[in-house]
Amino acid sequence: MKLPRYELKAEKSLMVYEFISEGTKGQIPKLIKFSETALKGFYNLAFGDKDLKTGNIDDTVISNNGDSDQVLATVVSAVYAFTDTERDLWVYATGSTKSRTRLYRMGITKYLEDVTADFEIFGLNDGEWEDFRKGVDYTAFLVKRKELSFERSNTEI
Amino acid sequence: MKEVKELNEKKIPIIRIDNSLEKYKAMPIFQDKVDKANEMLRTIGLPKMTKK
Repeated sequence: MKLPRYELKAEKSLMVYEFISEGTKGQIPKLIKFSETALKGFYNLAFGDKDLKTGNIDDTVISNNGDSDQVLATVVSAVYAFTDTERDLWVYATGSTKSRTRLYRMGITKYLEDVTADFEIFGLNDGEWEDFRKGVDYTAFLVKRKELSFERSNTEI
Repeated sequence: MKEVKELNEKKIPIIRIDNSLEKYKAMPIFQDKVDKANEMLRTIGLPKMTKK
């Protein structure tokens, strides 16, 4: 993934991350959280803006900070970090609005070539999961890290 | 800026540990989305995985 992304901070279990979006409207702190669900190993991914005055997190606000590509690339990198040590996890995401879900779809589409090398990606279409395809209006997304494969190493022994 | 470029090309990011974020683990933020995820699990479940 060659797009620029923001530096991430996280607590030690790597379930909560913070980064600072820097764009036309200034600096906006953002929080990413992987929340446990009723199914073990299945996590909900959500992110939103952190209000510095109240400490509240809002995932409905549209920041329009002009850096949505960099924000999405940062969220994708957090998914890599979260699933790196324990690869048998499911990560589920849906937008808080239809337009935000569409933004997620566009983001996945943009990185599809990169991320399909490492993740199984599914889209929820008419109440059924299917392999993610470009251009389909999904209502939710689900990813799972692919099993490790051995790669040729450049290191000489 | 070679180092920054190299970092951006790595898929797994370098992460700074910040213990102040610990408090958000227990906070019910994004709870509506977690509820929706649980509802999806109850009604639809997981995709059928096939070996590729």
